[in-house]
Amino acid sequence: MKKRLFGSLLSIAMVCNGCASLEKSRISRLEVIQNRGELICGVSGKIPGFSFLKSDGTYEGLDIDICKAMAAAFLGDPNKVQYRPLTAPERFTALKTGEIDLLSRNTTFNLSRDSIGGNGVSFAPVVFHDGQGLMVKKKSRITKIEQLSNKNICVGSGTTTEQNLNDAFQEKSLNYKPIKYQDLNQVVAGYLQGRCKAMTSDRSQLAAARSGFPQPEEHLILSNVLSKEPLAPASIGGDQKLSDAMRWVVFALFNAEELGISKTNIDVIIKEAKTNTNLMSLRRFLGIDGDLGNKLGLENDFVVKIIKSTGNYGEIYDRHLGPQSNVSIPRGLNQSYLKGGLLISPPMK
Amino acid sequence: MRNHNNFIKQLIIGIIVIFILSILINNLTVNLIRTDMGLSFKWLLQPSGFAVSESTVPFKPSDSYAWALFNGWLNSLKVIVCGLAIATLLGIIAGTSRFNSNLLVRFIARTYVALVRQIPLLIQLLFWYFVAFLSLSENPLKIINGILEISNQGVYLFGLNLSLEFSALLLGLSVFTGASISEVVRGGLNSVPKGQWEAFRSIGLSEGDGMRKIVLPQALPAILPGLTSQYLNLAKNSTLAIAIGYSDIYAISDTTITQTGRAIEGFIILLISFIIVNLIITNSMELITSFLVKDTGK
Amino acid sequence: MFLERRSIKQLKKELASSPMDTLLTIVIISLFTWVVSKSIHWILFVADWEVITHNIPLYLFGSYPKEQLWRPLSWITILSALTIVTLIGGKKIARKKFLPLIWLSMIPIGIVFIAGGLGIYPVPSRYWGGITLTLLLTIFSAVLSLPIGIILAFGRRSELKFLRFISKTYIDVIRAMPLIAVLFFGQLLIPLFLPVGLEINRVLRAVFAFAIFTGAYVAEDIRGGLQAIPPTQQEAALALGLSSRQTLQIIILPQALMTALPALTNQAIGLLQNTSLMAILGLVELLGISRSLLANPSFIGKYLEVYSWLAIVYWIICTCMALLSRQIEQSLSTSSINNI
Repeated sequence: MKKRLFGSLLSIAMVCNGCASLEKSRISRLEVIQNRGELICGVSGKIPGFSFLKSDGTYEGLDIDICKAMAAAFLGDPNKVQYRPLTAPERFTALKTGEIDLLSRNTTFNLSRDSIGGNGVSFAPVVFHDGQGLMVKKKSRITKIEQLSNKNICVGSGTTTEQNLNDAFQEKSLNYKPIKYQDLNQVVAGYLQGRCKAMTSDRSQLAAARSGFPQPEEHLILSNVLSKEPLAPASIGGDQKLSDAMRWVVFALFNAEELGISKTNIDVIIKEAKTNTNLMSLRRFLGIDGDLGNKLGLENDFVVKIIKSTGNYGEIYDRHLGPQSNVSIPRGLNQSYLKGGLLISPPMK
Repeated sequence: MRNHNNFIKQLIIGIIVIFILSILINNLTVNLIRTDMGLSFKWLLQPSGFAVSESTVPFKPSDSYAWALFNGWLNSLKVIVCGLAIATLLGIIAGTSRFNSNLLVRFIARTYVALVRQIPLLIQLLFWYFVAFLSLSENPLKIINGILEISNQGVYLFGLNLSLEFSALLLGLSVFTGASISEVVRGGLNSVPKGQWEAFRSIGLSEGDGMRKIVLPQALPAILPGLTSQYLNLAKNSTLAIAIGYSDIYAISDTTITQTGRAIEGFIILLISFIIVNLIITNSMELITSFLVKDTGK
Repeated sequence: MFLERRSIKQLKKELASSPMDTLLTIVIISLFTWVVSKSIHWILFVADWEVITHNIPLYLFGSYPKEQLWRPLSWITILSALTIVTLIGGKKIARKKFLPLIWLSMIPIGIVFIAGGLGIYPVPSRYWGGITLTLLLTIFSAVLSLPIGIILAFGRRSELKFLRFISKTYIDVIRAMPLIAVLFFGQLLIPLFLPVGLEINRVLRAVFAFAIFTGAYVAEDIRGGLQAIPPTQQEAALALGLSSRQTLQIIILPQALMTALPALTNQAIGLLQNTSLMAILGLVELLGISRSLLANPSFIGKYLEVYSWLAIVYWIICTCMALLSRQIEQSLSTSSINNI
């Protein structure tokens, strides 16, 4: 008797659980975010230029501004974001369990992470084209990867960085000794103090780290690029509404730069577009005509809200990684296609 | 009647426990299905694709995850065994020093314990590694030429090349556990009647000899149980290796879990490997206890 | 004069009873002087303390909202004041019966002050950080692990075989596991064991993991306390006509807890030290916030300063805890004697 009772209780528990999950999957995370009135953004919090903690307790960087742009588009306010600093191992679990809405944390877009059989997350367009590199001290006279044979190399553990390093050395049948640390500033410490002959990381991070060294000019980033590292924001797979919205927020940032719409001139441009009905595509882009925003489940003027809060992609880049910033990295591939870069937005119509 | 009552109570408890467990397992299955993960150990045989800085057995990136984990386990064992020896030595020295006739020796021993026991081990490890060891110069500092040389590349001792990470972890663990062991030793020595001290002094034995031959053997039965639990602590604490880049079992599990996404399976393996370490330590300590205590009993 | 000569004689005996002893004394003194002078030189002239002085609010409170900062600030101030009063007050204060009560009341006050509730504007746990988070993690986990420990301790002594078996298995398995593995379980695996849609935030998950871990150790300490109670106590209580539950609540448990108190306070100190492990798993408690700050371009490479500062802070907190617990033990034992 008791056993039967217990069995039926168990099956009820199971059924309820199943129906909860079904119901859950019908509501898009985007609506969850909008009902909550706050976006929960997973970030690193430990990478200069991309996301790091300032003395006043707030975060800053390119990854952070992507979160702000999303919040501006989804909620109309770039400050309604909650940042969750995450370690590399826990980022996908946090996404899957719904602890965060989206990930903006130097995450490399690759097949196994994107696919259902792998990590099963869904990626927004690449916001930073990076490549893994190696940095050495100039006085070591190392200029080629081959010269690092059998040497110690400092690397962050548990990331694709570690695998790429290994692949690159395997390919050339070279041996090396990885000294693995948990975060970038420990890698830097190990390298600067001479524990390793070289340190490896994404080239942007190498440049960022070097800018903080006592004598930056004494360090050389080797020309060998070990891997492509397209870094992109990510959301949980199978939620088309949210991933579409994220995708077009990023494209809007690119498109605004292509059109020359920036934080400073947006009011002038809106005024112009409102008076001149001939500027069809601009009016659609800014939400004066049409319903592009509504199609995504956003306000029609979501682009205006984004640009007013963070500016276009170029402005975000210059603020955190431009020549005037603490961490100066040439734009290289991260330039609009109009200027020979890789950034391009499909038509927003 | 009472037995019958007990049986029903046990049955109820059993049902509650099984009920809770089954809810948890049910949740787990739902979650695993939802995220298309399932439970599998097949990945263990796939090539790991990462190199390790330190391997007790030959290891290359094309070897399997299983071999990588085994290697990590051996690395853990290595640092645990060496740590046990040094910590015991430190603990006995510091513990007996608390009874030294010299005021300053007692003071130093007390300061050591008061300092080390009130600072988290993790901070101490970070300090040893990033501050003490990494700031050494690249040219070896020859403390005893040809026998003990240290540089920021590692420690050279009697022909053995110890990596910097290993040395820092070993030192940090030993210093930390040594302080706790010294308290165990002190407690044990306190349990020896004061008359014994006076006795060996009156027959003209030196402090050191008296301690070694008369007092310490009598304190052993009181010391050994405390020692076992400190040894187990040291073994568990060795997992903090991850913070300073030593490839122990936890660090390698961590990398493995990140690369394969197999968190549950990785965790189960970690758990089993630690239960084995625990069994090894408790059983050898039981053996040692029965040997030593019988010996002094004669 | 006589006294002075005697103390010098005594000192000589303590420091230089033999040539070897004298040599030892000289070596120790010179080494000690060298270390101390080097450290002072570094602290005063070499170290760049900007990474600390610039970020004091972060170390103390993390990203706690600015307009609400008075809350953790006043709690920490009261806590420090209470610590100083208790430690300086010495035996006089220790005899006061209300002392343990005041200390106990600091826990709910702290929780209400920092987390909010009871009409105070709530501040979610994601804004907690630095020392505030370290202390709260410790307090929450300690409070939660005590009942777990008590239940397990009684479970292990139960006459029900099955209950004994479960309690013993739990205690043994947890005690075999490294803490970092349990915390890893808490951060990454607990979400997988929860029903879909139910979320527990990270701080709370950390608290659960700490409580699960510490509970097993607390259980063993309390079991030690239970074993120290002579069986006659129970017999006497039963003979007086108390029910077995009453006996447990009024006679056995208080005594067992009193006996186990020194061990339990050691657990609390260990717990506080162990909260630093959460930095490895991404929480911004005292160590975590320091590691985040080391990534700020303006503070790269300042780890010597940061780690020294952390060591000092932890040392002060833990030493205060150890001294305090001794005081409170004293006050408890005197008050219980008075009661008899």
